[in-house]
Amino acid sequence: MDGIIFLQWAFDAVLGLGLLWLAWRALNSSDLFKAIVLFIAFGLLMALAWVRLNASDVALAEAAIGAGLTGALLLAALARLETMTDQNVSGVSAHPAHPPSPTPAGSRFSRGLLILLLSASTAGMGYAVWSLPSYSTGLSMDVAAHLDSSGVSNPVTAVLLNFRSYDTLLEMIVLLLAVLGVWSLDGLPPQPEKPPATVLETLSRFLTPVFILVAAYLLWVGADAPGGAFQAGSVLGATGVLLLLSGWRPRARLMQWPLRLALTTGAGAFILLGLLTLLLEKQLLAYPVAQAGRMILLLESLATVSIAATLAILFLSVSSGHKMKTGKEEKE
Amino acid sequence: MLIGLLNIDWGVITIMLPLAGGIACVLWPAMSKPAGLISVTGVVLAIAGLGWRIMENGTYRHAVGGWGAPLGIDLFADGLSLVMLIMTALVGLGISFYAKRFFSPCDAVRFWPIWLLLLAALNALFLSADIFNLYVALEMTGLAAVALTALTGRIDALGGAMRYLLATLLGSLAYLLGVVLLYHDAGSVDIATLAQRIEPNAAVWTALGLMSAGLALKTALFPLSFWLPPAHASAPAPVSALLSALVIKASFYILLRLWLELFGAFAEGVSMLLGLLGAAAILWGSLQALRQTRIKLLVAYSTVAQIGYLFLIYPLALVSNGMAASMAAYLAFSHALAKSAMFLAAGNLMQFGGHDRIADLDRAVQRLPLTVAAFALAGVSIMGLPPSSGFVGKWLLLDAAMSQGRWDLAVVMIIGGLLAAGYIFKVLGYAFTQAEVPHDARAVPAEMEWAALLLAIGAILLGFMAPQIFALIHPDLAVNASEAGTVWTA
Repeated sequence: MDGIIFLQWAFDAVLGLGLLWLAWRALNSSDLFKAIVLFIAFGLLMALAWVRLNASDVALAEAAIGAGLTGALLLAALARLETMTDQNVSGVSAHPAHPPSPTPAGSRFSRGLLILLLSASTAGMGYAVWSLPSYSTGLSMDVAAHLDSSGVSNPVTAVLLNFRSYDTLLEMIVLLLAVLGVWSLDGLPPQPEKPPATVLETLSRFLTPVFILVAAYLLWVGADAPGGAFQAGSVLGATGVLLLLSGWRPRARLMQWPLRLALTTGAGAFILLGLLTLLLEKQLLAYPVAQAGRMILLLESLATVSIAATLAILFLSVSSGHKMKTGKEEKE
Repeated sequence: MLIGLLNIDWGVITIMLPLAGGIACVLWPAMSKPAGLISVTGVVLAIAGLGWRIMENGTYRHAVGGWGAPLGIDLFADGLSLVMLIMTALVGLGISFYAKRFFSPCDAVRFWPIWLLLLAALNALFLSADIFNLYVALEMTGLAAVALTALTGRIDALGGAMRYLLATLLGSLAYLLGVVLLYHDAGSVDIATLAQRIEPNAAVWTALGLMSAGLALKTALFPLSFWLPPAHASAPAPVSALLSALVIKASFYILLRLWLELFGAFAEGVSMLLGLLGAAAILWGSLQALRQTRIKLLVAYSTVAQIGYLFLIYPLALVSNGMAASMAAYLAFSHALAKSAMFLAAGNLMQFGGHDRIADLDRAVQRLPLTVAAFALAGVSIMGLPPSSGFVGKWLLLDAAMSQGRWDLAVVMIIGGLLAAGYIFKVLGYAFTQAEVPHDARAVPAEMEWAALLLAIGAILLGFMAPQIFALIHPDLAVNASEAGTVWTA
């Protein structure tokens, strides 16, 4: 028994130190490509850390979004940055042009001050966390007491889709805003055709159905075990990224109304259901107990579609090339 | 019939209507403009309904999902929330009618959905009684604001937006860390429950520090205001108006709410520090505004200075605590009207001359009289001259400072007013004179001129409404405000 505890302790120690080391290397690296790869590795270790903290729901999301999709987005952005600096489109540079010049005394002073401030606040936060009781029940008793009337048996899903479904509605809007933000830069991106690599194409043919199955499983199992819309959506979104990488491009007709519908269906369903419950039950998003399970599954399915579409379209927008307005006409 | 209207849940509608409108804009881009104008007008009516309900029945509370705090999320509105909602609705309406003519069809398709979602986020924020829900609303507000800043896609706007994004994310994360500490310490994220449970210990102090720093960064309190001038100056005029008038008030409102309900009782030292930074912001922002050669940067630095006045509430609230919420809301409302009018007027001048160089305004007063009038009236409120709302707000603040013997703050406020007069007359002076090189002028639609002017007139008229606003927030304290309101008439 002692041996196992020691092993766990040693594993946690290695995990913690590894996280710190990866974070430091990623921040310290002057090569952006290396930094991104380190960041992806950091995300994977972070997912392991969540597993160790018994938060499998968060671990799944961290691995899929934190490591996978964010990494893909960063790599796509880096590729764009490099083509832009090659064409001298703007003043941004992917690689530092020359080694940093020796720091003057003033800058060294402000850097010292910054380090001092950061260390002091880290120490303060460390002390605060240390002084907290090591275990706090929080609202978990409350959640457990009402779990029966929530329509699902996974407490995380009950909180996200029932007790605090209003937060999730707003989160869906945040995702929509991310896409609108990227679009507001240059509208829908044009799609250059790329010849797909053979290995990638064959692989994606095999993997796509498997991924869709995994997403469907994660969505279904979310009612009783770790899983749910965010995890399923990110797996489905990753499938989209894989297809895009292997050269597949949605047809122009799909990029208009069907895409817009897919992006808004999650939030739209929340709003419609919210208004319906407001009319019938006089309360926003108050589901009748008998129907709660079905309503949650419906909301989660539509949210999965929206999340997947959002993540894949973000990748497509970042990876396709477009022109940048210089804004000369208004500047002078 | 009337009773039926009273029973409608107006608070929920102020959030759901712009959300639905925003989604409709995404689905049917061609309908963006009418959908936007209908939603914004609907929100104004819904807030009127909510106000009526609060005046009839007292504070508004809605348990989302029927669970009730602390398990679920409660929407909550008292007088303070209501004044912030009215501010959002009226300023938003003015800016919407301006934006209707301002944007090209291509930009309009991008502007309306994001603006409607921003409006929903602001309403959700002012109606929230839950510190985690406040975080989600804050994040929505921040992301929408960044997306709007980058709307033109020009390189200076992208740079401004990027800086803004990093600052706003850092601010939200610091706030979220504070939420986590409070939740672990007190086991709830509902503000009313937290208020009963928290005691000043290490975790609460750390949460206080993180949340105050994060929210001060998002409100652009000096010296954390480095991101504001480039972002607010490079955005299109209606967006600058939204950012300066409404978006920074969102994080200010959260800080004020936390102070009133949770932290104010024990954080006197931090209150002093916030006041000190506010005083520094007034001096630094005003001096920077005086130095600018472009109107939009000048107005943006003026925002940095005016935020300083809002933070003078904190040290002065120690003695007359009841007045703090009323004064803060009134000053915020007054600034929102005046500053949105100023940015819209600056947008008109830019469209008119094709530039915003102050020295080349070239007799704008003869050619765009309504716009210059809007700028001047808004300026009257920013300087704090009677009978504007700026005068009443700053007079109450000055009165509080002097009655508490805080002569230092009083002197800063007076210097700030003089500097404000300096930078506003600098613009007006050039508007009267002829430039050395004559410029071609483009026509400005009448609606854009009137939108700016009406908001500026609103800033003046609010000066006469002080007793009503104060009565909404704190019924017992209306007397003081009406006394202050009659100072200049006597």
